[in-house]
Amino acid sequence: MSDILRVTGLVKHFGGLAAVDGVSFAVEANQIFAIIGPNGAGKTTTLDLVSGLLTPTAGRIEVLGSDVSAATPAQRCHAGLGRAFQVVQPFPEMTLRENVLVGALFGTPGRTRADAERRADAALELSGLAALADVDAEDLTLMQEKRLEIARALATEPSVLLLDEVMAGLRPAEARDAVALVKRVRDSGVTIVFIEHVMPVVRDLADRVLVMDHGKVVVEGSYAEVTQDARVIEAYLGKEEVA
Amino acid sequence: MDTTLLVQALVSGVLAAGLYALVSVGLALAIGVIGIVNFAHGEFFMVGAFLAYQLFVTFGIDPVWSLFIVAPALFALGAIIYTSTIRFVLKAPELNQMLLTFGIGIILQNLALLIWGGDPRTIAGITYRGIGYQIGGVSIGLVPLASFVVSLVLVLGLYWMLARTPLGRAMRAVAQNRTGAALVGLEVNRVYLVAFALSALLAGIGGVMIAVIQSPTPVVGFAFTLKAFAIVVVAGLGNIRGILFAALFVAVAESLVATLVPNGDTLRNAVFFAIIFAVLIRRSWRTA
Repeated sequence: MSDILRVTGLVKHFGGLAAVDGVSFAVEANQIFAIIGPNGAGKTTTLDLVSGLLTPTAGRIEVLGSDVSAATPAQRCHAGLGRAFQVVQPFPEMTLRENVLVGALFGTPGRTRADAERRADAALELSGLAALADVDAEDLTLMQEKRLEIARALATEPSVLLLDEVMAGLRPAEARDAVALVKRVRDSGVTIVFIEHVMPVVRDLADRVLVMDHGKVVVEGSYAEVTQDARVIEAYLGKEEVA
Repeated sequence: MDTTLLVQALVSGVLAAGLYALVSVGLALAIGVIGIVNFAHGEFFMVGAFLAYQLFVTFGIDPVWSLFIVAPALFALGAIIYTSTIRFVLKAPELNQMLLTFGIGIILQNLALLIWGGDPRTIAGITYRGIGYQIGGVSIGLVPLASFVVSLVLVLGLYWMLARTPLGRAMRAVAQNRTGAALVGLEVNRVYLVAFALSALLAGIGGVMIAVIQSPTPVVGFAFTLKAFAIVVVAGLGNIRGILFAALFVAVAESLVATLVPNGDTLRNAVFFAIIFAVLIRRSWRTA
């Protein structure tokens, strides 16, 4: 099977609200897969369910063919899922090297110390942070924090990397750097699923685009296909404007 | 003022600081890594002391050797208490957590009263307890000196473990960002379990030492919970690295008051409360 990540009938209720309501999609190896949609569409909840921070009400999540629906976040990490957040989650009182080393040490079980250190340095290098390796994570700029978030996830050696709005809050030049970084990561053999609001970024990066609204999938297809879909235009602009 | 008396008070304070640091660093570990304020911490210390006493009475095992039995036993006790109670209140309000650990402390204390009664228990006939050295009129007992050295080695060993080893990195990662740690493959609950059990182990080792230094009763733990809290507050909640100096400060303050103030020996506990109040009030000024 070439599907690296397969999500089937995913449902999450918060009390009476169905934040995610029957979402299914499959991501092929080495794709860059975008999830877009208006605020409150359920995109981040979907990624939280996939990475195990939330427990689904119903549905099934498979990574490389194995069912991880009931696994802990750590087990899913070991199965090949990496996650980078919109709100970065660094270890503030560690250096960048240590931050990434934690990912390298614990992201893949049974790794030797020397191997983990080599991995950590490679991830820092790929993310353009090698020069800052000995700086504490709390002293970074936003762009550097986002790079660190990606570097640490990469050090766990994921098959698929989940990125939640890594461009949010970045200046245009920084966003271009971030786009280049995402491409480099994909070229290193990692499949990417990302949430994004900035449409030009989606156009530049995405092989496939999944559009969500009110917890449901509106449509899935290429960037050109989905942006011409009447339901998508309606979801983004509202009925009045379209009519 | 008599300088010999002053030097003696300082030396006694410094020697006591080792044991205080050992007990406090476990408390700080539970607060810093897990975020649990453990009011039962001193009871682990007490259980360690009475296990050493019982091992001596029943099997004639010297406390030096019972260290190697008490340490794993307390690690196991900590692991059992974490698994059966603490892990269920991790997301509960802090008041619930404190009441739970306070309750665990009361249960352990009363169990000890049932088993050993309220009288002080002495490990009799240890020859090395009487050994001491005189340096310029200042006396240094072998037991306090040894307990200082062992405690210092253990505390520095913990610092090294936290700074350098994978387990230490795991503990710091979980302490600094629980979500981030889980997503890079750390089983947060397992790291918490080890941290809590280790904290009980360190307190238990301290307990073995107090069983030799004093004749403990089942309420000895509470006194040490109080001392440890004063030290943890001086170091800053959750600050593990600051414990060594905080312990030195608190222990020397206690020793000076006990020696130099008339009737000062009765004021020992007041010293800890005074330090806690003073530090907290000063901190609130700074943030106000």
